[in-house]
Amino acid sequence: MRAIVRSTSKQAQNSGRTVQGVEPAEGGRVARTPGVPREPVAPIDAGVVERVRARDPEALAAFFDRFFDQVFGIAYRLLGERTAAEDLTQEVFVKVHRAAHTIDPARDPTPWIVAITYNACRDLWRSRTYRMGRRTASLDNDDTGLAERLTLGANEPEQELLRGERERLVQQAITQLPEPLRVAIVLHDYQGLSHQEVAEITGVNHAAARKRYSRALTALGRILEESFR
Amino acid sequence: MNERDDEQLSAEARRAQDAVRGLSQARPDAVFRARLRDAFVHGTIESPARRIVPLPWYRRGVVGWAAVPVAAAAALAVVLVLNQGPQWNLVSASGVGVAVVDGRPIPMNHTEDLAGAIHAGSRVDVPDGSEIRIAIPGRMVLLATPGTRFRVPAVPGRWFGRKISAGIERGTLRITTQAAFHGGRLSVRTPEADVMVYGSTLAVICEPTGTCVCVLEGHVRMGPHGEPMDAIEDGMRRYVFNDGRAPEHDSMRPTERQKLTMFREQAASKS
Repeated sequence: MRAIVRSTSKQAQNSGRTVQGVEPAEGGRVARTPGVPREPVAPIDAGVVERVRARDPEALAAFFDRFFDQVFGIAYRLLGERTAAEDLTQEVFVKVHRAAHTIDPARDPTPWIVAITYNACRDLWRSRTYRMGRRTASLDNDDTGLAERLTLGANEPEQELLRGERERLVQQAITQLPEPLRVAIVLHDYQGLSHQEVAEITGVNHAAARKRYSRALTALGRILEESFR
Repeated sequence: MNERDDEQLSAEARRAQDAVRGLSQARPDAVFRARLRDAFVHGTIESPARRIVPLPWYRRGVVGWAAVPVAAAAALAVVLVLNQGPQWNLVSASGVGVAVVDGRPIPMNHTEDLAGAIHAGSRVDVPDGSEIRIAIPGRMVLLATPGTRFRVPAVPGRWFGRKISAGIERGTLRITTQAAFHGGRLSVRTPEADVMVYGSTLAVICEPTGTCVCVLEGHVRMGPHGEPMDAIEDGMRRYVFNDGRAPEHDSMRPTERQKLTMFREQAASKS
């Protein structure tokens, strides 16, 4: 497993780009739909990364706070199941902790983290245990965030309920996609990575990454069309 | 498809794109987050115990592996039991005298004792002036004539173990097979010859000079011990001598034709 972490760290860090959860389309980033309730994330300070290399507790805490939601978000969107996403997130941070000394402070660690998350997901998908359980595993009902959203300021409980239901259907549709297509659409549209970054993380060329994304959109569109009918 | 050619998307794909981009941040459990943060910061973080999919019982460690041979043995036992067909029945015991079954003398008129003593593998001595008729219902009927000493064959299995063997040391054994014997094989060993019965009505006659096999109908092969067997056609007989002479091949004995015909008809009427 360490070998995977090292290879992805080199590959992903070589891209040396800033990835932030939500930002406008520039430098190859994907524009977000206005009004998406995902908070912009500030890039992590190089000094913090330097101290993460030395496993300084304060720096590790800052690092964790910066990347935890992002890792969990990707894991949850790719796996469609909260418990599995929590386990995967924990696995990712175990790997990050083990490989902390290899982080390059001159580069944004985001692509590296995303690559580790993707690799952990892929390992899980390939595992016999996961494949055996696919038939019986069900999607989270994911009402855990609903109460929180309903009590958060907007005072539009009906709209929040509709929004929650819509999200559930979209997540369900994503989980129905074949895994490579799921990765393509989650990393590009949810995570906001460019096709080039997705290509580097998933180990395919740029054209293949674009092709997968195109197929993912078509397939997802078809599933959603049926879901919302 | 790239970041600048979104205009080319179909309406369906555009809706899918908007739907994914519109997803909110998935909220992790606060307790989980706090626990993981603490472990990460203090370096006590460990890989999670996999709780995504519990393995089925038969895949779990030593218990699972130990269960495999037990289950296989149980399945084998069930198959072996089901494979067993009906057992030998005593159809009739006529005449007087004392039969010897596995060394135990039993008067011929004690039919219940005879029926209980005769089973697959038994060695039976039929006294002079008596006959013993045994059968596996639907499969085979066997008649031992006066003075015959023979070994009762095993019961052919339903699906496997369908090759069975009998033995005769002296006297005459008349055999007729029935519909359920189909696909089975009976090997009969005499002092000087081997007989292979694939389904037929025949007599195996052990005489002081050799073994004669008369075949009324069906598929039978016969040869001296350790030598190739030859087929015996319907209505023919083959004689293997015990003094080294070449086997004889000729028409079956007329008396045996008559007796075998009657035996077959009786067997058919009683089955």
